[in-house]
Amino acid sequence: MIKLNNRECEWQEGLTVQELLKLKTFTYPRIIVYVNDKIISPEDYASTIIEDGDKVKAIHLMAGG
Amino acid sequence: MKLLAKNDSLCIGCGECEEACSKTYFKEVNQEKSCIRIKDKTINVCTQCGECIDVCSVAAISRDKNGIVRINKKICVGCFMCVGFCPELAMKMHGDLLEPFKCVACGQCSKVCPTHAIYISEEA
Amino acid sequence: MELENNQTGQPFLKEYSYDLGVLDRGYTNRTLYINVGSYKIKEKPVTPLMKDKFIGGKGFGLYYLWQAVTESTKWNDPENEIIISSGPVGGITQYPGSGKSLVVTLSPLTNMPIDSNAGGYFGPFLKFAGFDAIELQGKADKDVIIFIDGNKGTISIEEAHGETSDTHILGGQLTEKYADNEEDRRNIAVISTGSGAEHTNIGLLNFTFYDVRRKGIRLKQAGRGGIGTVFRDKHIKAVVIKFAGVKGNLNHPVDQLTLNKTGIKLHKEIHDLDNAQNRMRKIGTANIIEVMDQYDLLPTHNYKFGAHKDTFKIASDVFISKVTQNSPDGCWHGCSMACAKAADHFELKTGPYKGQKVTIDGPEYENAAGLGSNCGIFDPDAILELNFYCDTYGIDTISYATLTAFVMECYENGILNQERTGGLELNFGNTEASLELLHQMSQGVGFGKIAGLGIRKMKAYLAKEFGADPQFLFDIGMEQKGLEFSEYLPKESLAQQGGYGLTNKGPQHDEAWLIFMDMVNNQIPTFEDKAEALHYYPMFRTWFGLNGLCKLPWNDIAPADNKLTDEPAKIPEHVQNYVDIFNAVTGKAIDKHELIRQSERVYNFQRIFNIRMGFGKRVHDKLPYRAMGPVTVEEYVSRQERYDKQLTELLDYDTTGKSTEEKIKVMRDYRESQYEKLTDAVYKRRGWTMDGVPTVEKLRELEMDLPELLEVVEKNM
Repeated sequence: MIKLNNRECEWQEGLTVQELLKLKTFTYPRIIVYVNDKIISPEDYASTIIEDGDKVKAIHLMAGG
Repeated sequence: MKLLAKNDSLCIGCGECEEACSKTYFKEVNQEKSCIRIKDKTINVCTQCGECIDVCSVAAISRDKNGIVRINKKICVGCFMCVGFCPELAMKMHGDLLEPFKCVACGQCSKVCPTHAIYISEEA
Repeated sequence: MELENNQTGQPFLKEYSYDLGVLDRGYTNRTLYINVGSYKIKEKPVTPLMKDKFIGGKGFGLYYLWQAVTESTKWNDPENEIIISSGPVGGITQYPGSGKSLVVTLSPLTNMPIDSNAGGYFGPFLKFAGFDAIELQGKADKDVIIFIDGNKGTISIEEAHGETSDTHILGGQLTEKYADNEEDRRNIAVISTGSGAEHTNIGLLNFTFYDVRRKGIRLKQAGRGGIGTVFRDKHIKAVVIKFAGVKGNLNHPVDQLTLNKTGIKLHKEIHDLDNAQNRMRKIGTANIIEVMDQYDLLPTHNYKFGAHKDTFKIASDVFISKVTQNSPDGCWHGCSMACAKAADHFELKTGPYKGQKVTIDGPEYENAAGLGSNCGIFDPDAILELNFYCDTYGIDTISYATLTAFVMECYENGILNQERTGGLELNFGNTEASLELLHQMSQGVGFGKIAGLGIRKMKAYLAKEFGADPQFLFDIGMEQKGLEFSEYLPKESLAQQGGYGLTNKGPQHDEAWLIFMDMVNNQIPTFEDKAEALHYYPMFRTWFGLNGLCKLPWNDIAPADNKLTDEPAKIPEHVQNYVDIFNAVTGKAIDKHELIRQSERVYNFQRIFNIRMGFGKRVHDKLPYRAMGPVTVEEYVSRQERYDKQLTELLDYDTTGKSTEEKIKVMRDYRESQYEKLTDAVYKRRGWTMDGVPTVEKLRELEMDLPELLEVVEKNM
């Protein structure tokens, strides 16, 4: 299990940031991703592996409407 | 098409062109009011690409028969969108002026350039 | 002796001349009062109190409306006013989104003040013509046109002859009529509505501007709350203003350079980043259609669901192919955000203008979601046609869409049938029926006349005439305070339920849009966190309406390094831009905290105004359950996994062997209690009693302890 935006979230060995975003259908173009409080750049989504117990944030910058 | 062409490698950063430009258009020696700017021996000046023409919502910017992109100050409402959208950062603003200003390839600066780093080009 | 208007050859009912005046630091320090019943025209001074406590824009509108009406005034009484005002920053040409007009009146839908804003050139022109606001009061006995010549300093009231009131025709005709020549048309701005406003409670006001590229008028709308209905009830056909000579310094700001620099900074940001962010220049607000669908937030079938398999048919890229590109599409000078899209040469397939090729302003997100998915319509051309007819008929697309979705659900439930609708088969997805309903509204005939009353009055009608269950109607009728909801599904975001429910004018999302922050990002998990957001954002957003500004350039673009700031959602750099341009225009020295206080004063004033009119208390902040959770079995089952999980995790409720009805009931009790707790927290944060009344201490703290406010508050403690 990991924390995603401070909620419990399923995890599996080798899960990358890119896969997680896809899994959660987080498709909005303005998302900031943090893994354990470190900002991950979009170009590193595919290569960043999330470990069990990590705290991940995917903050959507939409205060829209 | 007429434009002020440049060769950065010849520029020695003397600033003569800036002085000539601001004197010609604003009757003062003031780099901030020059259409051409020199920084670290790099020449920044309008390429007459015309991207600003479509950006202007009041159709104050157009290309004249010589290919020079010109601002009609009478129509211009001073929004400065063209400044923010210029790919060359060559459209200028000064706090004393209500409209932006830019190079119209008059050639005054090229006459004073000691190294021929700038010159009027009339190629098609 | 009757004077004659040279330009139109028509007799003036009244002619008035004024000194052009001086515009200084954002204010003309004068407003214009016109009574269309008595033809009285006068100028009023703007007092220091107005500037200090109400700032401008909707602050001025609410201030004047308070003076004009009593507790018993109804929307169609002659003393009701329509007030239009820009605001001190309005009319600058350097910073994107600085041309808004704020409109205030007593609403036929809510019977209390409504405020709505529009782009277009009217607000800035009014200031340049010499007035910080215009008040329209009284009721004419025949249709009139008001014409203000802001260069000559003349105002006339003229009888309107023959013209249709539909805006795409009338707006164009009046622009031609009052312009000296083609070149002069850019100097004309028209406010008008359309035939639909004459027969419904959901009439809007169209604000035109002349598009020099297209050589035609464009329309922006003050859509919400039936302002157009009031306008036509006063027998005003149009207000036309003319001003030639727009320049970047007409507000006589104290610091022009800061305006220029701040504007250029944002122009550059938009130039560099918009295409990778929200594509506002390419497609405008419609960029989020598919985003909303993917996050289960796109209202579908009267807010039952948040997504639909056919959404791809109305996705933003479909509309990109329909709107004309490479045209600057700002609704006021200097708006590089340029969200105002238009589809040109669109051939209409129905209605009185069938076969005409027209320019359609749109589509906005709200229109695609409302006219489209919420009514089960996934045909982009149908959405454009509905959009066009709503605009030209002067009908608010949001209210129209939401009430049509309600009608469709009633039809599918058997509350309505073909006999009761006069033959209209109003199933979800029936484009033809929706268009026919709209055409009926424009003429005030058939079922369109009933639907045009708005959801609140329709609910009463359906219960009375057909014995429909009032509780079910209350649950699925997506209105609150009488106003139809705008087009977001708030079920899974408690904070957004507050963003809709705990508002002054009703469920319009312009006060707070917190869905992602709450539901997806989980950044405001506690009641206190949500309450803080439901304090800050409504106050921050109110400020745009005090100053003649648009909300979009605040957060539909963000600086490249915004994510590194401590509060990215607030876009701190842009907040500072607003502080800077306000100070640069007015010469004041506010900071971001005083900015919030400026809003708080007006926000609390509006709340107390509502209370004065008999509304604005806790009971009025209740929501229809459709906004909060699944009303029907169909809805529950469609998201069963989610709801079952919530029951288990949040309530420790064992769902095994339970019927869907039982689960719906448990879920409902829980969600309704959550909303009550949220309400407590928000009222507390805003300095209100648990009944939603601003306290005397709060008013003192804000220096808003004006006698007329204290009187209302004390009476309601």
